[in-house]
This record gives sequence, C-alpha cells and structure tokens, in this order.
Amino acid sequence: MAELICAILFSGVAIGHEMHGRRRAFDVMLRGRADSLLGAVQDADDAEDNVTVDPDELILPKQDAYQVLSPSGRVVGQSSASTPAVLAGLRSSHKSGYFKFRVGEERYRAIHFNGVRVIDREEGKGGLRRPVTVLYAAPTHDLWHETMEAVEFYVVASVLLLGGTAIALVWFLRRRLSPLQELAQIAGRVSAQSWEFTPPAAVLRTSELAPIALSIEELLKGLRQSFERQRQLTGDAAHELKTSIAVLKSSLQLLSMSPRTTLQYETGLEGLLVDTERMEDLTNRMLTLARLEGSPVEQNQVSNLNSVVHVVSERLRPLAELKQVTLEIGFGESCQVALQAEDADVLCSNLILNAVQHSLPAGHVSVVVDSCDGLAKLRITDQGEGIPDAALTHVFNRFYRADRSRSRNSGGAGLGLSICKAIVDRSNGSIQIRSTQDVGTQVTVTLPIVQGI
Amino acid sequence: MRVLVVEDEVRLANNVAAALRERCGFAVDCADNGIDGAALTEYQHYDLLLLDLMLPGLDGLSIVRQVRRRKDMTPILILTARDEPAQVIELLNAGADDYLTKPFDLGELLARSKALIRRGKGASQPVLTVGRISLNTVEQTVRCDGNLIDLSPTEYRLFEYLIFRPRAIVSARELLEHLYDYNWQHHSNVIEAHISNLRKKLRAAGEETSIATIRGRGYRLEAPDKQI
Repeated sequence: MAELICAILFSGVAIGHEMHGRRRAFDVMLRGRADSLLGAVQDADDAEDNVTVDPDELILPKQDAYQVLSPSGRVVGQSSASTPAVLAGLRSSHKSGYFKFRVGEERYRAIHFNGVRVIDREEGKGGLRRPVTVLYAAPTHDLWHETMEAVEFYVVASVLLLGGTAIALVWFLRRRLSPLQELAQIAGRVSAQSWEFTPPAAVLRTSELAPIALSIEELLKGLRQSFERQRQLTGDAAHELKTSIAVLKSSLQLLSMSPRTTLQYETGLEGLLVDTERMEDLTNRMLTLARLEGSPVEQNQVSNLNSVVHVVSERLRPLAELKQVTLEIGFGESCQVALQAEDADVLCSNLILNAVQHSLPAGHVSVVVDSCDGLAKLRITDQGEGIPDAALTHVFNRFYRADRSRSRNSGGAGLGLSICKAIVDRSNGSIQIRSTQDVGTQVTVTLPIVQGI
Repeated sequence: MRVLVVEDEVRLANNVAAALRERCGFAVDCADNGIDGAALTEYQHYDLLLLDLMLPGLDGLSIVRQVRRRKDMTPILILTARDEPAQVIELLNAGADDYLTKPFDLGELLARSKALIRRGKGASQPVLTVGRISLNTVEQTVRCDGNLIDLSPTEYRLFEYLIFRPRAIVSARELLEHLYDYNWQHHSNVIEAHISNLRKKLRAAGEETSIATIRGRGYRLEAPDKQI
C-alpha cells in the first residue's frame, strides 16, 4: 500500500517536473517564433509610413495564430489560417507576458510583447524604429501529449518496479516469517489438556525467535508443573472426601438394611458421629491450607513462641500421658516471631502432636525453643519409629502419608506437615526434618525474630 | 462363598464385610493393606476379591496383575475414589472384572458381587436349578416344585456352593475354605453335620436328587442328566 502511494507520488512528481520543463521550453519556442514574426515586419509602401507583415518571410506552423498591432491598435498583420475565434482569444490580453486561453476544445498558450522593429538598418546609421505589439499563440495539446509520452517511461518503470518488489517482498516475508508462523501454530496447540511444546528447529535457528521460543518453553514447563500439582491436589482432596462420604453412606445403608436392636442403632450412630467429626476435621484442614496459601500475609502480627509452646504442650500433656510418653520442654530467652496467634498454635500443636503420636509407649518427646543470630529455633525430637528415607522427601506433600493405613486410623489426612510448611513459609522461615529409622525424628523450625512492637 | 475385602479405610471395609455377611451370607476376610491382601489371595479360596485401588504397601492394580499372572480366575471388583477413564481402562485391561466408584451404593455393591460370583461359576441367571429344585441367589431361598424348603443360613450356603458345581466332587476342605472366614474355628465334622441335615430336608420335600458322600474325597450333588 505504502509502496503504491509512493509510486503514485513519484509518477505525479515526474509528470509535474516534466510539465514544468516542457512549458519553459514551449515558452522559449513561443518567444522565438514571436521574434521571427517581428522580423517579418516591414515597411508598408503607403503614405502613412505604416508597417506590414510579409507572410512569405515566415515559416511558422499552420495551427499557430498571430497578430501584429501597431501602437495605434491597428492590425498590421495576422495569421491567415486562424479562425476569428482564435484571433479574438489572442486579443483578450492587454499586458505583455505569457497567457493562455481556450477556444472550444483547443487550449492555447500565447505571448504578448511590445517590440521595436528597426527597418532599413544600414551601415553606420540607424534605420527606422517602428514599435509594434506582437501577439502569438500556439496550441498546447502537443505539449501535453509530449509530456505524457516522456513521462510514460517513468510510469511504466515504476509500475514494473512496484510489481516486482511486491512479489519479491511477499516471497521474502513468507520465507522469513515461516518459522514465526510455525511457532505460533505450535504455541496455539498448547492447552490444559496438551502441554506438548517443542520449538521447531527452524525457529531455534532464527536468532530473533530462539529466545522467545525458549522462554515460551520454560514458561509452559512451569505452568504445566503447577497445573499438574493443582490437579493432583484436587484429585487427592476429592479422593479423601469421597472416601469419607463412602464410609458415611455405607454405614447408613448398613444400618437401614435390616431391622436392628436399639443397641445396634446406638453403636451405629456413635460410629457415624466419629466419621462425621473426621470429615469435619479434614474439611477444616483443607480450608486452613487454602487460607494459608491463598491470602496475603498480615503484617504486625506477633506471637511469643515460648508462651505458645507452653500453652500447646500443656494442652497435649494428657494425651501424651495416655500414650505413656514423657513430654519435656526447654526454653531459652523469650522470642517474638511474626506469626498470627492462631497459626503459631496450629504449627506447634501439629508438630508436637505428630511427635507424640509417632512415639512408642514409654517414649520421650523433647521440645526446645532457643534463639541465636536473630533466628528463633523450635526443635521437636521424638524417639519414634522414624520415617523411611524414601518417604522423607514427600512428607510436606499434601495428603502424603508414609503409612496410610496407620495414620488413617489415627485420624490424620496427610495435611498436618503441609499446613506447618505453609505457615513457616509465610513468615520467611524454614522447616527441616531429619529422621533415622528406629531411632527417632527431629523437626527443626527456624523463624526470624521480630524486635520490639 | 468367601470374599476378600482389601481396603485401608477400616470403617468402610467393616461396613462392606458386614453387609456381605448379612445380606449374602458370604464369609468375608478383610485386609487393610496391599501386602496382606496380596498374601491372602495366594490361598485361592476366595470366590470374589474386592480391592481398593489406593492401598498402602501395594496398590490394587498390582494385586490384580499378581493374581492374573498366577492364572487365578477369581472375579475381581475394584473400589475406587477416582474414575478417570484412562485408569478404568487400565484396570479392566489388567484383568479386573468390574469397578465401583466411591461413594457407592451398598445395595449395588452386593448385587455386583453376586453377579460376579455367579458369572465366575458359569451361571448367567440368579436362579439355579437341579432336577425339581431351584435356588434363588437373590432371595437366598431353595424351592422344590415351587414349595419353599426351610434351610438354615449355613445349609443354604452349603447348597449354594454345591449347586454351582453339580456332579463335581467337592472336598470337605474346599467347603470349609469357601464357607468360613478366618475368624471361624475349623472343625471338619461341622460340614458332615450340615450335609446330613441338608439331605434330610431335601428328602422331606420329596426330592430324590441327593448329595452323595464319596468316601475320602468329598461330596457330590447328584443331578439328572437332562437339566442345566
């Protein structure tokens, strides 16, 4: 398009320029002819000493029109072939210079000038000076015609050039853009169902496209991983909930399958209540996790780690005693950490409860809080059966249970450690687990200490 | 009939087991992990395996593969909380016979279990007939010419097991294995007593079809040639 406009402009300028040149040449020619007309002015052989134009001395184009006037306005001579209308047009100018007029379809360009014809000039002395006014016109259609002829070359050349470059450009663009198109096509095929994205070799060879393709690949890989994680999580959550519902439903159907005694109904209802509480707990944990991962961190929330550990340990002590586990607590100096009171409580109770539940009877659980270099450390050590190495890397994964049947019966849903990790991560802390089978497990939580407030 | 339930959700396994015992009169054993479950299948005295898919130790799919690798034809019904088509296809291709998604209807589970056992023993209808006697596995009743024969639950279970294999010799040991679960104290003479009662009741109803004792080998349900 831009090319077309350029070509039109170019042709226009060429025509304009040619017109201008031709017109100048035309004017010069006009002047020349008028001069030769002046040269043809002679003395008329009459009493008033007038002048006349001798047509025999002139060789002028037939279609040209002229008139020579004496100062008094009398017509001294005129072209004999011209029509009166053309002569009238010639007389329409009253001052010297170039002008144009039109007769019918024919356009004329004319010159009007006052000249002095010196007649009978002889050696050494001046002749007779006769002032006359010369009007000379020539039709311009030839001028236009010639201009077009001259410009035709430029127009044809530019049209050819335009066509040629258009074809070349399309070919070139196609060739250069084909990797981009290929890239767009492959990228367009990516969806949540199909994550396949392999940049074609042609794209990787194109230096402008290679970084784009590689970053798309990287981006998709990341997206895919997080998508898979999310899908895994949703699947796991659905699995847990469906299993819980299956327990409730089968218990109810079993109860209503045949008439039961009051005692059987009571036992059945008790079981249902336990199942429902377990489901409630599961839902709460899932919501806690969603809250921790979904909402932004609230600033200016501070808890005293020592007092939280103290409160939680006292709350869990009866359970520990029930399992014949001794719970020992050690404190360093008091330290404030950037945790909401509720989160701090959940963190400590999950970890201590885990330690107690995984302890063997007559076991020992120690909970130690201390601080150094601006970091608070919470260390919980048990003498339980430990976690197998293979499972150790997965313990923070949601719904992961090292031994599913066992922890199911103890009520866990495999979310406790995920929740702890989410809480610690939100406060820019870290959590580590070290475990030796048949020796015990140590969980270390490190949190930055908050000064003042 | 004896069924193995492998399910880590103990409450669910207990409910399923209770329903199978109560409504179908089956003997039921439960395992709460894949390893124990797989070990129990090796005895091959189950008429149906009910497997959860996600199990600690060994998953349901692996158990299916193990069982089928032994050329064990026991029907397998899978219980799963996941129902992606790809997984279902993989299961069925591995040799499972049917599947149910959790939460399932207990009635449907029982019906599918019975259908699978029936099919596994080569019968396509819930009513089995030998001579003038017909046994309805849905109602758990036995009739002779349409007249109800009153059988105790154990007698019914015995007869049900025998009627699936007419004219075949079934050992007392096999009967014990398929009619009682591990919680039962095994007494081999308990079978003899029940068979004797069953014979009496059948004869009282006027049926000459009888259960023969083949000394040292077991029992056989005598059946007229023309039927089945």
